[in-house]
Amino acid sequence: MEFNWSLMLASYGTVFTPGVLFIICVGITAGIIIGSLPGLTATMGVALLVPLTFGRPPLESLSMLIGIYCGAMYGGSISAILIRTPGTPAAAATVLEGYPMARRGEAGRAMAMALFASFFGGVCGALIMTFASPLVSSFALEFGPVEYFALAIFGLSVIVSISGRSLIKGMMSAFFGLLISSIGFDPISGFPRFTFGMMEMMEGPPFIPTLIGLFAVSEVFNEVQKTGQIQQLKANLNQYLPSWADIKYCFKHLCRSSVIGTFIGAIPGAGGDIAAFISYGQAKRTSKHPERFGHGEIEGLASSESANNACSGGAMIPLLSLGVPGDAVTAVLLGAFIIQGLQPGPMLYKEHIDIVYQIFASMMLAQFVMLFIGMAGIRLFAKVILVDRAILTPAIFVLSMVGAFAMRSNVFDVYTTLAFGILGYVMMRYDYPLSPILLALILGPMAEANLRRAMVISAGDPSILFSRPIAVVLMGLAVVSLALSIKGQKKIEARLSEMEKEFEVAVKE
Amino acid sequence: MKVADIFGGAFGILIGAFAIWEGTKMPVDVVMKIGPSFFPNILGGLLIVFSAILIINALRGRSKGKVEPYRLSDKGTQRGLITLAAGIVFCIVLDPLGFIPTSIVFLTFMMWVMGKRSPLLIVVTPALITLAVWLVFEKVLSLSMPAGVLADYL
Repeated sequence: MEFNWSLMLASYGTVFTPGVLFIICVGITAGIIIGSLPGLTATMGVALLVPLTFGRPPLESLSMLIGIYCGAMYGGSISAILIRTPGTPAAAATVLEGYPMARRGEAGRAMAMALFASFFGGVCGALIMTFASPLVSSFALEFGPVEYFALAIFGLSVIVSISGRSLIKGMMSAFFGLLISSIGFDPISGFPRFTFGMMEMMEGPPFIPTLIGLFAVSEVFNEVQKTGQIQQLKANLNQYLPSWADIKYCFKHLCRSSVIGTFIGAIPGAGGDIAAFISYGQAKRTSKHPERFGHGEIEGLASSESANNACSGGAMIPLLSLGVPGDAVTAVLLGAFIIQGLQPGPMLYKEHIDIVYQIFASMMLAQFVMLFIGMAGIRLFAKVILVDRAILTPAIFVLSMVGAFAMRSNVFDVYTTLAFGILGYVMMRYDYPLSPILLALILGPMAEANLRRAMVISAGDPSILFSRPIAVVLMGLAVVSLALSIKGQKKIEARLSEMEKEFEVAVKE
Repeated sequence: MKVADIFGGAFGILIGAFAIWEGTKMPVDVVMKIGPSFFPNILGGLLIVFSAILIINALRGRSKGKVEPYRLSDKGTQRGLITLAAGIVFCIVLDPLGFIPTSIVFLTFMMWVMGKRSPLLIVVTPALITLAVWLVFEKVLSLSMPAGVLADYL
């Protein structure tokens, strides 16, 4: 598909109106606040606020959610720098450099660089997304059921292979999620499965309530068990933008990490935390002063922050062009698209090309809005971290329940939310990753429906799965990524525990 | 983590076995050879395989990570259980009682559980939060909340 410049300009015009800009500002502000509060992740923020967009037109509601997504990615760095707690998992690498800097009295410099790096990464991500997704989608127009099946399998293999500490538990989460996704009408013959005779289960578990439960309510149960006041460093936040010297010093890392972040984001299943850690490691390896890393090196901060924000642009590429989410947040966004009556994927470019370009435009504008709001509110956001958990946590519970109820006005959804909240809490406690479930809920039906469609075409002959080159490549990649992760699991575990140790040392100091 | 892993694995096997058992009751497709039970069977089977590996690893003392056991005397555990009970009650009474009273009572109670004692704070804040949520959903977004006992007044 050719890139349509005039439509691009027109879309900027559509987005650059007071109404949409205002919505983006609201989204960014909410995102920064959510991101800066430890325990509230970007996934949770978007899930919690999706219900607020039910009644709005598509452009407004998607712009707001994109704003929350980008804002939260930056917001995570605020608490990482000031209270040595990453506001979102993606900001874990930021703690390693940001907090030592703040302790040295350079909180202002660190915050300014975090904001600028987030902005820089975000712009790169949005740019690459704007030009890459139409290409990918025109490529994907050729895709048939076999390719989509292979794509879903590839996505699942990536999620499992990066699911952290225990590969086995990641596998269990993924298969459990896939089983949940098979609840309801079977996609081809319409036979109701695992519904226990309940009408509400016929369409499968309701998506939004399920993920509000998994990501928001579970955190409520987690949060009420903690006590203690949050201690904040007394910081002199006198700087809005990094100095020219700092930018020049980090420029190489900013560029490289933004590109790495975007590409990792574009791999279905890999999200901002992985992007940040990989670019941080890369920056450490290529730095002239690797020994300074871990003691407040601004290069490390710049690379982790630019990577996690670039990742959001990258994650939008497979979402828009293939209908496959790049990470957990875009999985939630996929739900929001569907509520708006839009099915992401190559057909979106045929049927709603206007909205696609408007999303490109609003993603780009969101980065600039983030820069301005971040500069203007830097002192305010630093105070938000200290908000009283005894008020916030119960309020999140109420908001979760209300949001779950609002979509269908159905009490069943409220129970679903609570049940998944309990499930999510128990799973988190025992180290079962939650993101595989979320992605399995989307990739599961895609894999099954397309596999069976392929089987209808071939009249039950499984060799059709190996008849298409792209599909074979994708399935090969899936096997490779699984094999690598099984082989490299020990290495990954060693690296993880090494990073955790580094992290703990940084926290203790 | 060892005991927890064995329990987790056993639970996984049960779920997998249930999926396969349910699958036997589903119709078979003659044309495609694979019917509605095909996918759940594979998934259930693989879930059982990985659950079994988890249990075997646990038995061989290869469980990873540590987890603090629950103690009922622990204040955090108590708060967790109270929250769970309060959450269940919230869901049950939400429809008959209505959103506004349920939410105010729940928030007041939870703030008290989480250690707030200032009477002004635990009376005024819940009302304000509830009102704000209600206004946004009901008035700004026109999404209906359960009205419950206040149905005649709202």
